[in-house]
Amino acid sequence: MTKRRKLVKWLVVLGALHGVVACAGFLSPYDPTEQDRERPYAPPVRLHFRDTQRRFHIRPFLYPLRVREGSFAQFDEDTARVTPVRFFVDGSSYRLLGLVPCRLHLFGAFPARICLLGTDGYGRDQLSRILYGGQVSLAAGLLGAGITLLFGLGIGTAAGYYGGWRDDVLMRLAELFMALPWLYLLLGLRAFLPLSVRPTQAFLLIVIVIGLVGWARPARLIRSVVLSFKERDFVRAARGFGASDGYILIRHILPETSSVLLTQAAILVPQYILAEMALSFLGLGVPEPLASWGNLLANLRQYSVLMSYWWMYLPAVAIVPFFIGYLGLASALQEWADPSKWA
Amino acid sequence: MQPLIQVESLRKLYRSGKGLNSGHVVPAINEVSFSIAPGITLALVGESGSGKTTLALCLACFERPTSGRIWFGGRDIAALEEKQLRVVRPQIQLVFQDPASSLNPRLTAHEIVTEPLLLQRNWQERQMRERGFALLERVGLSREVATCRARELSGGQRQRLVIARALSLEPKLLILDEALSALDCSTQAQIANLLVELQTSSALTFLFITHDLVMAAHLADEIAVMNRGQIVEQGVPEKLLASPQHEATRSLIAGMPRAIVRPHMSGAC
Amino acid sequence: MRFLLRRLAHAAFLLFAVSILTYLFASLAPGDYFDEMRLNPQIAPQTVVALRAQYRLDRPLPLRYVRWLDSVVHGDLGYSFSYNSSVAPLLLVRARNTLVLTLTAALLAWGLALPLGVRSAEHVGRLPDALVSWMTAGLLVVPDVVLALGLLLFAARSGWFPTGGLVSIDFDSLSLGRKLLDLVLHIMLPVSVLVLTALPVLVRHVRSAMAGVLEAPFLQTARGHGIPRRRLLYRYALPAAANPLISLFGFSVGTLLSGSLLVEVVMSWPGLGPLLVEAILSRDLYVVIGGVLLSTLFLVIGNLIADLLLYWADPRIRVE
Repeated sequence: MTKRRKLVKWLVVLGALHGVVACAGFLSPYDPTEQDRERPYAPPVRLHFRDTQRRFHIRPFLYPLRVREGSFAQFDEDTARVTPVRFFVDGSSYRLLGLVPCRLHLFGAFPARICLLGTDGYGRDQLSRILYGGQVSLAAGLLGAGITLLFGLGIGTAAGYYGGWRDDVLMRLAELFMALPWLYLLLGLRAFLPLSVRPTQAFLLIVIVIGLVGWARPARLIRSVVLSFKERDFVRAARGFGASDGYILIRHILPETSSVLLTQAAILVPQYILAEMALSFLGLGVPEPLASWGNLLANLRQYSVLMSYWWMYLPAVAIVPFFIGYLGLASALQEWADPSKWA
Repeated sequence: MQPLIQVESLRKLYRSGKGLNSGHVVPAINEVSFSIAPGITLALVGESGSGKTTLALCLACFERPTSGRIWFGGRDIAALEEKQLRVVRPQIQLVFQDPASSLNPRLTAHEIVTEPLLLQRNWQERQMRERGFALLERVGLSREVATCRARELSGGQRQRLVIARALSLEPKLLILDEALSALDCSTQAQIANLLVELQTSSALTFLFITHDLVMAAHLADEIAVMNRGQIVEQGVPEKLLASPQHEATRSLIAGMPRAIVRPHMSGAC
Repeated sequence: MRFLLRRLAHAAFLLFAVSILTYLFASLAPGDYFDEMRLNPQIAPQTVVALRAQYRLDRPLPLRYVRWLDSVVHGDLGYSFSYNSSVAPLLLVRARNTLVLTLTAALLAWGLALPLGVRSAEHVGRLPDALVSWMTAGLLVVPDVVLALGLLLFAARSGWFPTGGLVSIDFDSLSLGRKLLDLVLHIMLPVSVLVLTALPVLVRHVRSAMAGVLEAPFLQTARGHGIPRRRLLYRYALPAAANPLISLFGFSVGTLLSGSLLVEVVMSWPGLGPLLVEAILSRDLYVVIGGVLLSTLFLVIGNLIADLLLYWADPRIRVE
């Protein structure tokens, strides 16, 4: 049972991580597009418990940031104004899980701006942008993986089950796709599509493009599963009872592909999140003002940002726990015994 | 009496080699003719490669013969279209050698045994449940086994399950292709006894294919010896064993353990 | 021999198919380089039409492809609209830089992976193996973008390494020794990123291949004969484990090439990567096609070399 427990453990970890991102509206103090032109590139605020008179406050507080006279993006703490952090505050409206309109946020520090991870060039809170950006990047990864697996399942099954010239043609095509370096293929595909599109369209476009790049390997794996089960005696026996191709595929063969599909999913999702990040980083993915981890990192392409504002690097760190989770899940899935094996 | 199934000049040719290398034509079955009367057991004995399995596949309509006729139920089933065969298939069932590969390890015994009924779509939900249990009981499997997955069963239980499944559509002819060869000695005996009992209680006709002449002698009413795609000798077991006419028969007999040319078979082989 | 010829034919077919695919995609793209120009009110529409005709973008597709194929075979990869020069020399300079980066990374990565993997396999389950295992796990979870940006940040902050480019501005005036040092300093960070991202996969495969071989009876016999450890590992065990590793080598060329694109862009290494991205953004048709084709060529050559090595190393293939 320890194999199963391992699997459950990783599923719980991933579920929690995705849950955090799903609750972006509640957990982030501000709307990700809300600008504060007076405080561009503000560093992360510091929370204090002791004020300048050495008094201890139970509730953490912060000093609002004030622009230093005659400078750009240089701030001082306004120690005159102790602004406590409040929890479960009312703030900008958002839709919980995309459905329920809500105004409740986990924390806030009105009238000051509590930017725990600093702000960007337009004064937008980075924590909010990272959380919301996570939704976009994760969605791209998951949807892209879904498309690839659907495609790969269809093609692999057709090639394996029907065989003959169909199999040859499809497998040659798969070889072709696998021969190309995937990032070049991705860029190539993206290149030949309209450059400036609206954010939602762009998102769908890149999801489809990412999904179309990686179908070859899953298709081959599924094909070999289908091939190995196609000639089994129990399939032949079912045909002897009058089973149609469709029945045989659905009842006997496709359930065998489940472990391949799941393992491939766990491997593909992080790769696809990375693909979205790469595209958006290069300016070919999700456009502003929609946030994604990729276009958040694109800020770092400017040398001045790289040199002076270290907190702009944080979106890169956000993906690491997800990578750990998916890698753990993939290895747990591979270890998990395949139920169609004879004991 | 009208034979249940009559095979006329059956030939099945295979091409060896693929694509540009093909050339050799191998006759797996070469002008085979025989018939089986209803209610009896015909044993088809031969060395491996003699064409026994190919014949079984042709009779069960899994392969089309190159030429020849198979008369069954008044029709030549070798010439039928797939659609027409659907009616015929339930009447001729094939039991393979390896019970492990004939069963989907993921499914439960009950699901396996009722699958043919599902496919033929002539039973209601409730009736099917009961019918499933009845089928399992008939081959000596208890109700508890019904919810076990195929991979959890023993070799003997699996083979019983395969037979139960084959019986679910009430076939007239049951072809057993080396059905006992993969089992251990005592299980072989048990399954053999089950087959005998089923034949008497359900008026089944068996085509029992084996390379084991001992088994054939015990179970069959008639033995046909097959060699290189042809039937070389045919007759009742006693006569065949006492005075074999053909070379192939003689070599098969020579391979048998001396002590056991008796009609009874006990638990020990 | 037949094996090699088959592989060669296969590679040629692949390149041909890729060329058709890329050309098809490129030509189906909505809009082209001149659309930008059309939007510019200062340029007369007739000029755009004339330019179009000059570059022969008004002919039907199959004709264009055949012409293009013909010129490629003669070494002319087309014309770059944004650089205003022939594509081939442009690509070749960048390609050289990418190759320098990728090959250095490949050599270093394998140079590290082999001893680490062998060591790990030798001491399965004990401390060295555990350490290597942790290291690879740690590296696997850090994507190359994160690593590249992180190192870049480090370079910018610490000032120890340059933050981009092939060489410094005053390169030509340096002495030979200093030139070399300059080049090394510039290449060090991009190479490190590539090596660190490739290492975990390679080490794991070397380890599992070697672990399998070390169990084998023929090796136990050799050990019983008293053959020294190093010779045992590298002259007996490794060649037996080489088969899957050689295939992996071919595969790793592909992954390094893909990885190098992003690393080059992030760390401003003047290779094919940044050129391709630029060309895509400015819809520079022939540069994009040429770039994709060239990188596929490298990949195919990498795999062919792997096939050659396999042929030379594994006598079973020669018998076939």
